[in-house]
Amino acid sequence: MLRTDLLTVIAWASVAAAIALWLADGGATDITSPASLFTAAGVVAGLAGMDLVLLMLLLAARIPFIDRTIGHDRALEFHGKLGKPSLYLLLAHGALLAIGYGMAEGLDPVSESINLWTQVPDMWLAFVSMALFIAVVVTSLVAVRRRFPYEFWYVVHLLTYAAVATSIPHQFSVGGLFAAGTWQRWYWLAICIYTGTALVYFRILEPVLASARHQLTVAGVEPVAPGVVNIVMRGRKLDQLAGTGGRFFIWRFLSPGMWWHPHPFSLSAEPVYNGPDGQGTLRVTVRNLGNGSAQLLRLRKGTKVALEGPYGLLSTAARTRNKVVMIGAGIGITPLRALLETTPFAPGEATVLLRGHTDQELYLSSEILDLCQARGVRLFHLTGQRSRTTSTWLPEDAVRSGYSLTSYVPDIADADVYVCGPAVWAVNVIADAGKAGVPEEQIHHERFDW
Amino acid sequence: MKIRGTVAAALASAGILLAGWQTGTQAGGISTVASSTTAAGTTGSTGTGSSGPGTSGSSGTAGTSGAAGPSSSSGTSGSSGSSGSSNSSAAGTYKGNTVQTRFGPVQVQITVANGKITDVTALQLTNTDGKSIQISNRAAPLLRSKVLAAQSANVQTVSGATITSDAYLTSLQAAIDAANL
Repeated sequence: MLRTDLLTVIAWASVAAAIALWLADGGATDITSPASLFTAAGVVAGLAGMDLVLLMLLLAARIPFIDRTIGHDRALEFHGKLGKPSLYLLLAHGALLAIGYGMAEGLDPVSESINLWTQVPDMWLAFVSMALFIAVVVTSLVAVRRRFPYEFWYVVHLLTYAAVATSIPHQFSVGGLFAAGTWQRWYWLAICIYTGTALVYFRILEPVLASARHQLTVAGVEPVAPGVVNIVMRGRKLDQLAGTGGRFFIWRFLSPGMWWHPHPFSLSAEPVYNGPDGQGTLRVTVRNLGNGSAQLLRLRKGTKVALEGPYGLLSTAARTRNKVVMIGAGIGITPLRALLETTPFAPGEATVLLRGHTDQELYLSSEILDLCQARGVRLFHLTGQRSRTTSTWLPEDAVRSGYSLTSYVPDIADADVYVCGPAVWAVNVIADAGKAGVPEEQIHHERFDW
Repeated sequence: MKIRGTVAAALASAGILLAGWQTGTQAGGISTVASSTTAAGTTGSTGTGSSGPGTSGSSGTAGTSGAAGPSSSSGTSGSSGSSGSSNSSAAGTYKGNTVQTRFGPVQVQITVANGKITDVTALQLTNTDGKSIQISNRAAPLLRSKVLAAQSANVQTVSGATITSDAYLTSLQAAIDAANL
């Protein structure tokens, strides 16, 4: 958990550093009038806002260090949480500076804004950038996001890059803090370039290289249960992906109308490779949820597949204890199936709890049973309706019998606990695990409700 | 360990802010050099139009009377009170004197027509480093538009560009005086 602390420190320190750049330039000593106070507050808001934007981009850049430390979905959760604060800071930046500059020049903020737009180079781009930021954040608000298809949100979200790009010129050419010859300019350039490079490398270059390396094609689509299929892909150099069972990749199936749609799916089995050059197969298990996944059920054999990854914490690398407990619900069971295959434990040291409304929803349960028998694992099937009265992860009859996590796994406090399932359900599991005395760093959770 | 992370982050941030503050206040201590005006030897007063209410106005002729210094011939036939035709300022361009600042010299030139300032050009602007060039680039168009609107040097300085603005307006006032507006 030292690494989590390190990330926290870096994040906070970067915001402090952004403000320190301005302080070191004598920013605070220039505050002599109400106008300069507004201007100063506006500058600080802009610096902090841009720093948060860069942090957001880094959180979404799929940097392995961040992914291994807090996991992909917690990174994206923080990314989402920073959205509104950074927009507020940028709005305050614009408003406070229009007021501050305006007061100093005896103009109202609107005329001052018009002056800035028309007379100061690069400022019109900054106004465009502000409009784009507003568009991106507004379409990402949960209430708005639900009204539009995912694809619409995705395309608008790509505007973030345009928003950041158009905001950069004025940062370096207006205000003087980052003027040529200042050390502040080098620092600011460095963090901008680092963020840009990380995005290009981890989100574009790496995936393109990985896709070219593995040459994946769809080998077949097999039904598992109603609305659930295994997609089997054939490729090469799969030995390089050994140990990634349970982690997820972002897949793109390169057929007309589908190629641009990214699908996050976990491997539901370890890669199998025995041919020359690491040739073999990979498998994901997919439930038909939206129109995007419906198309997947009809994937044609031979369709080329691009991949990004592996991402996520559901791997042996996260282990800290000898004992291990895996708790999965619905389609979230499938990555645990892959993890169960290879993660090390002695017979009797592992427990698997599978949750679903019916036996049919315990996907891959026969494969899991085989693995449990082979490796000496305790296995519980927890089926039935969820409780209507209390919020719990257990079926109603288990609740009525007074069962909790420790009823199934008495020694859970000394085990690594992998949790994979819908968000609300997982929150209840994690709360129960906390009550059972499992320290936070032993809980490895991945949101899994797509 | 959440607390540990937060405490460490807070301490690190406070340290960075403090370091920034230290650097900033030290730099601020040096930056008290006021902009000094050195009128001597400058190229000002190129076209000092003659002033005084009684003189025969040379309005309209570009290129002004070569007489340096105000020639006030008060004893001549006063045409004051007659129609304001004798606007004493000649059309043309007038340079202000060069004002030295710690960021470099500043000099402006005004264009006058019909007794009005029709344009302000900065001949020299603070340019010692990238930052002062940038400040100049931002301040100059704002000052120009304000001066054109106010028709005087009596406008407010541009925030964040105080030294440049002061020097600009000082040079401008010299140019206005020279133009006799």
